[in-house]
Amino acid sequence: MEKENRFWQIVFLSLPMAVFVILIIWPLTSSFYYSFTNWNGFNSDYQYVGFDNFIKILTDKLFYQAAINTSIWMVAAIFLPSLFGLVLALLIDSSVPGGSIFKSIFYLPICLSAVVVGQTWVWIYQPDWGLMNTVIGFIAQEKFNYAWLAKPDTALGSVILAWSWQQTGLSMVIYLAGLTSISEDLIEVCEIEGASTWQRIRLVIFPLLTPATVVVIALSVINSLKGFDILYIMTGGGPFNSSDTLAMHMYNESFKKYLMGYGSAISVVLFLIALTIIRIYFKQLKKVDEIYG
Amino acid sequence: MAELVLNNIKKSFGDIEVIKGVDLKVSHGEFMVFVGPSGCGKSTMLRMISGLESVTEGSIHIDGADVTHEAPSKRQLAMVFQSYALFPHMTVEQNIGFGLKLAKLPKKEIEEKVAEVARVLKITDLLPRTPRQLSGGQRQRVAIGRSIIRHPKIFLFDEPLSNLDAALRVQMRLEILRLHTRLKTTMVYVTHDQVEAMTLADRIVVFNHGKIEQSGPPIELYNHPANIFVAGFIGAPAMNLIATTLSTDKQGTYIDLDGLRLPFNLKANAVDKMSVTFGIRSEHLEVCTNDSPDFQAQVEIIEDLGSESLLYLQTNFSTEPLTVRVSPENDYRTGQKIGIQVDKSKMHIFDTETGRNMS
Amino acid sequence: MADIQLPHGTGAPSAKPFNPWPVVIFIILSILAVLFLAPTVGVLFSSIKTTKEIAFGRLWDFPTSVYWGNFADILSNPSVQGYFVNTLLITVPATVISITLGILNGYVFAKLPFRGSGILFLVIISGMFFPPQVILIPLFRLFNGLHLIDTLWSVIFIHIAMGIPICTLLMRNFFATVPNALREAAILEGASEWQVLTKIALPLSLPALAVLVTLQFTWIWNDFLWPLIFIQSDEKRTVMLGIVNLKGQYSVAWGVQGALSLLASLPTLIVFLFFQKYFIKGMTMGAVKG
Repeated sequence: MEKENRFWQIVFLSLPMAVFVILIIWPLTSSFYYSFTNWNGFNSDYQYVGFDNFIKILTDKLFYQAAINTSIWMVAAIFLPSLFGLVLALLIDSSVPGGSIFKSIFYLPICLSAVVVGQTWVWIYQPDWGLMNTVIGFIAQEKFNYAWLAKPDTALGSVILAWSWQQTGLSMVIYLAGLTSISEDLIEVCEIEGASTWQRIRLVIFPLLTPATVVVIALSVINSLKGFDILYIMTGGGPFNSSDTLAMHMYNESFKKYLMGYGSAISVVLFLIALTIIRIYFKQLKKVDEIYG
Repeated sequence: MAELVLNNIKKSFGDIEVIKGVDLKVSHGEFMVFVGPSGCGKSTMLRMISGLESVTEGSIHIDGADVTHEAPSKRQLAMVFQSYALFPHMTVEQNIGFGLKLAKLPKKEIEEKVAEVARVLKITDLLPRTPRQLSGGQRQRVAIGRSIIRHPKIFLFDEPLSNLDAALRVQMRLEILRLHTRLKTTMVYVTHDQVEAMTLADRIVVFNHGKIEQSGPPIELYNHPANIFVAGFIGAPAMNLIATTLSTDKQGTYIDLDGLRLPFNLKANAVDKMSVTFGIRSEHLEVCTNDSPDFQAQVEIIEDLGSESLLYLQTNFSTEPLTVRVSPENDYRTGQKIGIQVDKSKMHIFDTETGRNMS
Repeated sequence: MADIQLPHGTGAPSAKPFNPWPVVIFIILSILAVLFLAPTVGVLFSSIKTTKEIAFGRLWDFPTSVYWGNFADILSNPSVQGYFVNTLLITVPATVISITLGILNGYVFAKLPFRGSGILFLVIISGMFFPPQVILIPLFRLFNGLHLIDTLWSVIFIHIAMGIPICTLLMRNFFATVPNALREAAILEGASEWQVLTKIALPLSLPALAVLVTLQFTWIWNDFLWPLIFIQSDEKRTVMLGIVNLKGQYSVAWGVQGALSLLASLPTLIVFLFFQKYFIKGMTMGAVKG
């Protein structure tokens, strides 16, 4: 039996593992290699430059700007959609009429691509006829012409709002599934014990939603780390790099300035950040698993 | 029909040895039951026979051929699982004919064989249904149908009745016995239920901690348990077991139960003052009608089972209550003091340390 | 706050006076729904209005007449037709193959574990967490060396690889719910491991497959980064690149862009609606039962 198992393990795993190693693991390790070179993307004669690229990172003002923006982006892009999703899930789960229609409406943006979402929100922020200014102008009863995406103060925040609009549906769906998995009995116990609605939510429902939160956070982290497309479409990192993130910075340095060695060094930093987040996440996951199985 | 021989089988999972050397021969057409508490290794043993689990040491022979490293499908056995293991996406007909289809038999032949099996098991009506539409007993019958269609050399049953309710279990037990009578195939049956073991087996093997405690026909195990474990495991209600000490004097060996001297003729060497366990079955204790009882006891609980009643008695020499079988037409009351007589020919003495039966 | 009829409030005593909260919640949800729909409605409106109308600030007015010209422009444009064909040629094979590889991986991790398979599984699924930028440059060099840059193959290959972690995770979790006894029964009946996979495990895992088809199709169809890096010539562009490219071609072509955006979103919407029932169930099942 063991011999047969070994045979099938090899038969089944060889192709997927070969693809995974060649197209994921190998490039991942090569990134480290290129980060110590000055490769420009075309010539095959490039030099080993030691830690030059990493030293350059330390003095690169744009890198700092991108790192700060990435932190803001990550925190907001994880927190906002999760919170909105939770609120929507609680509201829909209160058995209002038309619940499934609301669910579909809030979920719809997930099916749209970052390109379509980005372009749509560009129109919302459009200074002359965008929805944002139209509504504000209507309320203020005077013409409003603010260029949301062209002002360094509001560019990143505007993209985050668009992103949250798209991602909210996903966390809502997961929270809804989490809510339906909470046993009726526990809710009835609350009623017998005389808990108020807020107490019920705070003391029973929130804690029992922990497994759902774990999933929501994981998906938000995964998606927000990859949040390149929407920034590229809406601001391209501008104006004046005010919405530049590490992913965007890496793209610009590598594929616009053709500094592939330097770009690799940035991607190595990006990798180390992701690795840290994963390690923290798996540690927390273990704790949650022990309680909620 | 086939003969199955297990030769010094050992099995380890990592550092943990779960089967510690098992030798056994199952003869042609024998109905062998493996019984024991959960975790005793009986199911692992069965899975090794089937080939689903590999053997760490030792060898397995079917009809003289060494199959220790043979693939499960080449061993020509069939297995009925506790969960029935019916494929939920196939109809009953497809489930029963699955093995034949894999063997690439012509469609016509498969249909005929399935129909024949269904007729024998009286499940012809169920053929177009899927497992989810069947009751527990029906599922069990389909599982049996799937196993008999290929005429295996040996049938393996892994606790097949434990998911059924009590009434159905008795009924299926009879059907399995009928099946064995008709097919006369070698069967190995695993259960933790000693009643099932007693009623089905030609021979019972009692497993404990990965070893065979005793094997033999049911009645032999009941009347002559080789050790404390078998004595306590086989038979319901369980044998009364009382911890005491052995004494020796000029007249011979005896135990002293609160002044009652019970003499023994022991096969094994007895040592004075050694710790022993006295064993007596509930039907070998009798409520005394004359005025010279062996000992006095007080009725603690009465269980009326209809066909008989069980008295649980408190005595001066045992912390556990003694069980006594009495006729259902009785007028005992809780708290009543009664006299008890011991059937001296049915007593057992076990060495408490080794568990061995010394009588 | 005290009386909101929130989750599972059905057991509340009936003696209570009229409870206004369901109505309030319904109104709140309706307002949120309108806000949520606004961007999507914007795309819809833009596709049936002339660019001139939009430029005069009438995008958000309810359309009084429908202008089909944008769609006519888009559908008669040969490069746009090419964009759709290219995207389909990338999405379909990449979806099918990445799921197939995930099935093979998932089966081994669920049913044929070996020493160290747990760690290998963790390594594979942690691939989900890394931003694609980390492997971008070496891949660019690799594909450049293989002359795959500016071919659809490069995008197909990378999507197959990037899909392996999620497909492996979901399939492993789903196969884990298929009882081991079914596999063993099939093996005793003479099935090979391949037959157990194709005849037993896969037919029982259709919901998981529905989830993966939806996820993979949506991600690959909507992806922008990889084609942006690997594709250079117009005749190899995908739809998403095409939308962005359209913006560059005409400086103001909002109506045409809206029409193309709408058409580009249809395939993923259709796939989602088609598998919706399984999707949400399988998604949470695969995810929560990690």
